[in-house]
Amino acid sequence: MSHHAFREPGDPLELEVDWIVVGSGAGGASAAVALARGGARVAVVEAGAWRDPEHYPSSAYGGARDLMPAFGGLATAGRAQWPVVQGEAVGGTTVINSAICVRTPGDVFVRWAAEHGVGGGPMAERIGAIQDALEVELHASRATGRAVGRSDVLALRGAAALGYDSHPTRRFVEDCAGSGQCLQGCRAGRKQSLNLNFIPETLERGGVVLSCAPVARIVLEGNRAAGVRGRFRHPRTRRAGASFQVRARHGVFVAASAIQSPLLLRRSGIRNRSLGRQFHAHPGTGLFGWYDDPVDMHIGATQGWSSLAHRDTGGFKLESLSIPLELVAGRLKGGGAVLAERLEDFRHLAMWVMAVKAESVGSIHPGPLGPLVRYTLDRADMVKMRTAAVLLAQTHFAAGARWVIPGIHGLPYKIDADALHTIEDAPLDPRAWVAVLSHLFGGCPMGADPARSVCDGEGRVHGHQGLWIADASQIPTNLGVNPQHTIMALARLRAETALSRATP
Amino acid sequence: MERAHTIPHRRLDPTAAVVRSAVRAMMPGSSTLPGCGELELDAFVRRLLHEASWPMWLATTASSLAFVLTPPLTVYLPLPSFLLPASLLDRHADRMSGHALYPVRQAAMMVKTVMGMHWGAHPRVREALALPPYPEDPGTWRTH
Ligand SMILES: Cc1cc2nc3c(=O)[nH]c(=O)nc-3n(C[C@H](O)[C@H](O)[C@H](O)COP(=O)(O)OP(=O)(O)OC[C@H]3O[C@@H](n4cnc5c(N)ncnc54)[C@H](O)[C@@H]3O)c2cc1C
Ligand code: SF4
Repeated sequence: MSHHAFREPGDPLELEVDWIVVGSGAGGASAAVALARGGARVAVVEAGAWRDPEHYPSSAYGGARDLMPAFGGLATAGRAQWPVVQGEAVGGTTVINSAICVRTPGDVFVRWAAEHGVGGGPMAERIGAIQDALEVELHASRATGRAVGRSDVLALRGAAALGYDSHPTRRFVEDCAGSGQCLQGCRAGRKQSLNLNFIPETLERGGVVLSCAPVARIVLEGNRAAGVRGRFRHPRTRRAGASFQVRARHGVFVAASAIQSPLLLRRSGIRNRSLGRQFHAHPGTGLFGWYDDPVDMHIGATQGWSSLAHRDTGGFKLESLSIPLELVAGRLKGGGAVLAERLEDFRHLAMWVMAVKAESVGSIHPGPLGPLVRYTLDRADMVKMRTAAVLLAQTHFAAGARWVIPGIHGLPYKIDADALHTIEDAPLDPRAWVAVLSHLFGGCPMGADPARSVCDGEGRVHGHQGLWIADASQIPTNLGVNPQHTIMALARLRAETALSRATP
Repeated sequence: MERAHTIPHRRLDPTAAVVRSAVRAMMPGSSTLPGCGELELDAFVRRLLHEASWPMWLATTASSLAFVLTPPLTVYLPLPSFLLPASLLDRHADRMSGHALYPVRQAAMMVKTVMGMHWGAHPRVREALALPPYPEDPGTWRTH
């Protein structure tokens, strides 16, 4: 049997393979399939359950319960409490993301080289070649037809009227049906989340998958990573099951996410002052436009419009977002009858969001109720957020919105074009804003200097053998673009390097 | 493949009662939309409290309790929210969500999030807003 799901307490599961990959998200699945293609026997060990499209929930409640760690209950512990959104399933966050495909901008490699002594031109070239291949394998294509909803059409119109570049989003999706349900998993199976392709391929090539299997520790023999161990966890009741121990002949890839990878290394006894440091994110928030005619933003791709026009000058990216009705209530001001009346307008709302290329740095620590994410946006980043909010409002008005609903504390519930200045003057206190973190970086940052980084430019943990980082935690800066493509390409690069180094 | 499970029923459940009262007040309905109280709220709350992770359970109950206890900060009456007359309860729900104190606002936001998860997924609400109904969440996964 090559897939082991939850097992009742009893006989432990023991296996030996060439390589272990901890976590099966963007990084883990990409590393696993690359290792398997190279002829190695791989075990993917994943904390979440393996759910296929027929198992996916439809509601936001089901999404939080079935596809997110701790019911989606993680939030930043900083000046403001902003939700930190991640997936927990075979396929990781790719199961619940919008699959937006953006190549790594060239300036990122230049910056890594200048600030961290890694990356540079040679890495840019290799990542570019891998990204070419990934785009073919995962059907990268621009949204067309049903995938471009009315909200997206309005956004295109607004951006064109203001004279900035924007386009239907390019995504890893084959023939999108435009159901706007990506965040709960694509039940139509069109979105190329990695549980549908790289993980099954890893199995077909002789690999093993352990699901419902959170790794408790990496087993170290001296400074060599020799395996992993933990206990199966029931995906519904969370009770512990049988123990498992997997031994690795060559090594262990850690790809448990920017939040979990540093914590796993720490509890495995790895001592490095940079563990949990250099945490970055792209915090995002959105504004609703209110239109005279129904927008019905649930029709079309979840994120069918985007613009990178302001990444370099303003430090943000813009996108449309079909936010589920369940989550709209929390985004509209007011309560009681006032809120009920506002929710009547749902069909007339279009939500557009920004992702801020934030330079603020946070850190990850173990906490009493789970991970503790210390993170607060500094003033400069808040200015970027506010500038993006102003531009989104202007875009809504240019597209014909009658009002904009900013959702910022201290501002009126809705404003017309004449009151745009209220957003320009909006408070810069993060507590006035309702934002989320969904693009996460760092925690095990790469760098040439072992005193300031956890892994080297090839992803190997400093001072250890056979221990590699293959997820977003190795990324030492923000990217300013959606990260899945970069994470997958880096993971494949790590796997290919590891294979070339492994002794037969 | 595993099936979804049944939720145990307890006759007296003060935690569920607190959450229910906060959620119901946050979404009383309008002339065209049903309120949470009309939409099998009891079953939803029991399910949530049973299935939620420990941090989520804590956040839900603490926020609901805050809703019950904060009328002195919003409508300036030393009464728990469930003893307020309807018009004041409504004002409390509205003012709490825009309160100057961040923790109070955050508690209201949490109650609204819970409310939204129930209300926004309900077939009657979805029909009223021209949204397709959700099929039941299977709650299943691959077991081999
Ligand atoms: C709502 C949302 C929308 C997004 N949309 C996009 C988008 O459109 N385009 C884009 O480029 N990016 C998007 N992202 C971001 C992108 O999905 C993530 O950056 C990316 O998936 C992170 O990859 P990762 O490998 O670092 O971690 P993940 O994909 O999160 O995978 C980590 C995996 O490790 C598992 N794990 C954790 N701890 C353990 C343990 N102890 N043992 C075993 N397994 C463990 C987790 O369960 C998880 O499956 C989105 C993110 C979110 C939340
Ligand atoms: S919009 Fe719908 S059909 Fe298209 S990828 Fe997302 S979930 Fe699938």
